[in-house]
Amino acid sequence: MAQAAQRLLQRVATRGPQLVSAALAYSRPRLATFWSYARVELAPPTPAEVPKAIESMRAMVRAFQAGRLAQLTVREALRNGLVATEVLMWFYIGEIIGKGGLIGYNV
Amino acid sequence: MVPPVQVSPLIKFTRYSALLVGMIYGKKRYDYLKPIAEEERRAEAEEKRRREELERIAREMAEGSAGSCLLRAAACPVSPGGEAAAL
Repeated sequence: MAQAAQRLLQRVATRGPQLVSAALAYSRPRLATFWSYARVELAPPTPAEVPKAIESMRAMVRAFQAGRLAQLTVREALRNGLVATEVLMWFYIGEIIGKGGLIGYNV
Repeated sequence: MVPPVQVSPLIKFTRYSALLVGMIYGKKRYDYLKPIAEEERRAEAEEKRRREELERIAREMAEGSAGSCLLRAAACPVSPGGEAAAL
């Protein structure tokens, strides 16, 4: 019994660091890739981009008023829907940060 | 490596404004719900306290009447043993 416990302990002592280094070796290049993309694609808008964004929002409203919605292809509509869903998810991340808890309102 | 996509400023702007609006909404809603839950908990604790007090009184009354019953047989609602009442 004691021998089995000792063997187990030894295994954990030898295998534990191995697993950790394997996890690090696995995740490090992937994280580097993620960061190199995230730095460009997930960056907040620069102050110079804000007027551009507002201008394209106006253009979107104009396009909507001109009946652009009826000319949209299914592919475009699907893509726009995905983008809208993503923005909605950002709202929920903000809500999680604001309420300070992942699940429900911990009141 | 594929070059990163240049995300349109509109999408970036809406993303981060949604994040900000979400943070404000979550904080506001939390601050709105917190005192309500607090009040509910308080009311429940008060109710529990009251109920336990009533239970305690009822138990003491029951014990008290049983005690006096042993002392004075005449005070018993039901006589404990017929011979005691007969004496």
